[in-house]
Amino acid sequence: MKKTMLAAAAVLALATPAFAQDTVRIATEGAYAPWNFLNDAGEPAGFEIDLGNAICETAELSCEWIINDWDSIIPNLLAGNYDLIMAGMSITDERLETINFSDNYFPPDPSKFVAAAGAGLDFSALSGARVGVQGGTIQAGYAEENLGGANTIVTFSTADQAMADLAAGNLDTILADGAYLEPVVNASNGALEFVGEDVMIGGGVGAGVRKEDTELKATVDEALATLKADGTVDALIAQWFDGMGPFFSE
Amino acid sequence: MTHFRTVKPLPVLQEMLQPRKSGMFEDLAFWLGYITNGKHLTWYASFQFTIYAALLGGALAVVFGLTGATLKNSRFFVLRLVGSTYSSIVRGVPDVLFFLFFPLAFEQGVEWLVSTQVCSPEAIAAQTAPWPPCREANWFLGTTEYLLLASVSLGLVYGAFATNVIHGAMRAVPAGQLEAARAYGMSTTQVLWRVHIRQMWVYALPGLSNVWMLIVKATSLLSLLQIADIVLWADRLGAPNFLPTVGLVHDDWRWRYYLVLFVFYILVTWLSERAFEYLMRRTGRGILSEVRT
Amino acid sequence: MEAFFNDLAIMAPAVVFNIYFALASIPLGFVMAVFLALGKASSNPLINALSRGYIYAFRGSPLFIQFFMFYSLALSLNLTVWRPLGISGFVLHPLFMGPLVLVLNTAAYTAEIFYGALRAVPRGAVEAARAYGMSRSQQFRRVVWPNLIRLAWPAYTNEVVFLFHATAIVYFALPVVGPQADLMITAKTLFERDFNAFLHFSVAALYFLAVSLVVFFLFGLVYQRLMRHLPAQPGLRFAPKWLR
Repeated sequence: MKKTMLAAAAVLALATPAFAQDTVRIATEGAYAPWNFLNDAGEPAGFEIDLGNAICETAELSCEWIINDWDSIIPNLLAGNYDLIMAGMSITDERLETINFSDNYFPPDPSKFVAAAGAGLDFSALSGARVGVQGGTIQAGYAEENLGGANTIVTFSTADQAMADLAAGNLDTILADGAYLEPVVNASNGALEFVGEDVMIGGGVGAGVRKEDTELKATVDEALATLKADGTVDALIAQWFDGMGPFFSE
Repeated sequence: MTHFRTVKPLPVLQEMLQPRKSGMFEDLAFWLGYITNGKHLTWYASFQFTIYAALLGGALAVVFGLTGATLKNSRFFVLRLVGSTYSSIVRGVPDVLFFLFFPLAFEQGVEWLVSTQVCSPEAIAAQTAPWPPCREANWFLGTTEYLLLASVSLGLVYGAFATNVIHGAMRAVPAGQLEAARAYGMSTTQVLWRVHIRQMWVYALPGLSNVWMLIVKATSLLSLLQIADIVLWADRLGAPNFLPTVGLVHDDWRWRYYLVLFVFYILVTWLSERAFEYLMRRTGRGILSEVRT
Repeated sequence: MEAFFNDLAIMAPAVVFNIYFALASIPLGFVMAVFLALGKASSNPLINALSRGYIYAFRGSPLFIQFFMFYSLALSLNLTVWRPLGISGFVLHPLFMGPLVLVLNTAAYTAEIFYGALRAVPRGAVEAARAYGMSRSQQFRRVVWPNLIRLAWPAYTNEVVFLFHATAIVYFALPVVGPQADLMITAKTLFERDFNAFLHFSVAALYFLAVSLVVFFLFGLVYQRLMRHLPAQPGLRFAPKWLR
């Protein structure tokens, strides 16, 4: 009896609204332009924010954006701090062990190496290079496995921090999503260039969802199917990634 | 605006720096506009989290400190043990460890408590994630909840320091004062609250001022609890940007933003020192001259 | 229970990083603090103001901010300074940047302790030394310093423990190179896998507690040696004040 009262008190006093599930909370990182970033107004913006809002509109959900650090973004989804992750997260078998994904909203896209122009890295036998990655990404896993022995893998908590170190000459190269790097390389007017061979890892980008939230996954998938069919997704990709694909219509 | 940097590692920057050579006033207007855009305003607004956490954490530290000191002064061995265990264990581990641990542990405790009531066996069986036990028992933590929990952890950690300070200060109150109070026929509680704790402040203030400075500095850790605080915004504002669609194209400006925070904390320290000096002068009036320093 | 021992084993290599950070910064911080304390006591207005300002700034701001600030500052100097000197990878390595910032930080706190002790050195002893015709450096080495270090040792012990605790935030602020991870990063990674906060953070806490006790023991031995000329001094106790 005492236990009942205690628990009831805890529920009432601490979190009457917080236990209710009325809005869908979407987590993003806010440091991965143009996928998701904080704009000049200080609000989340970018491809995934536009797309997420379109999904919510189509599925008639009320949505709320939450900024969460990348390294704890999956644990906090599992812990129930939000319901959906839209943060440029690639669908991988390893992640599928802990969470589920919606259908992809960005087609499989190669990961690429970027370096300062004329760095002259020999990718046929890369050794002694400082390779930057964002921690907890597919690229971090790949780099550690395939380049770890002969090179130094430096792990950063955001992709922007890795870019800062590359720009300042503290890294020889960065391995990251092609669609993240491409706009940056284009904007650099030749200061940065793609090097080495592209690496195909990951099965496209999807929205992360808890395994037991099958209903939410179904809703998101349905809305995505509609948005893919009417060309909205491709239009958003074209808008945010300088008109460069990959597109779903191809 | 070339005085902003001597190195130009990327041509993007030169381009960004060239077009606004039109004149000083345009420059000034541009930078004024820049540092008052929404992103910067959000940063300035986020200072409130730091201030709330410090004030609430400080108040709670005094409460826990008083509790701890009373426990340590208790006549009962068990209570004394609780008091001294609290103050030495919490101080024996880094503040950041406890700061991360307490909110997580508290959240899990609440969720466990709720789960014993609301989770049906089927719901528990259906749960695939290792925690919480079932969906219904999940407690959503937003910025407000995290801020409250962060303040409580600050209170608990630095309450342990305050326990020692207050314990020492209580022993510094001259025994004659307490004897006189007892001789006046005051009860034990009356002696404690009207004489002992009242006079204790004079001796505790220098130590509590130290504890307060520690709390202020520990508020820099708020971003570790997913609170969008001044440190997170400094990182986001200062991170290099290469894309015109995102905002002003600039390279790594983080150290400038951190320098602002560095100066901010020094100013807070300076202000706190002045405030405590004033308090010590006031409370020390007519009691002891050496307390005033 | 098995999980507990498992964690103990996983975190054993991690604690080495925390110990390294502390060991690498204690000696330099100590030397720098002596000069800063003397600077703060100096009658030369420039040296005095510089030392005072330095101590005030580094004691008045959070170490966490200092880490971020110095790393990004060092990064922005990379192309002009470190690269031409050929020490880029070395300077920006967390195993160098970590101790560097810790040294800058602990030097300020330790200097304040030494300065307090310096002011408490009995005037009579210094006057006697002067009367014996000792030079200034002789006075310092033979009279001021032995007094100072004895007065400052208990507080300095606290500072060292505090410094060791401060190593917990190094990797929250600096990039991680390869598989190098300290206690906090390891505990956090383990927690994010199975959400067992009580187990993983407790094991990390045990390591911190254990090393703190070792520090107290070792510094207590030194204190006993420092005080050997005095009859029956009370040894250093675990957690006397712990305030910096």
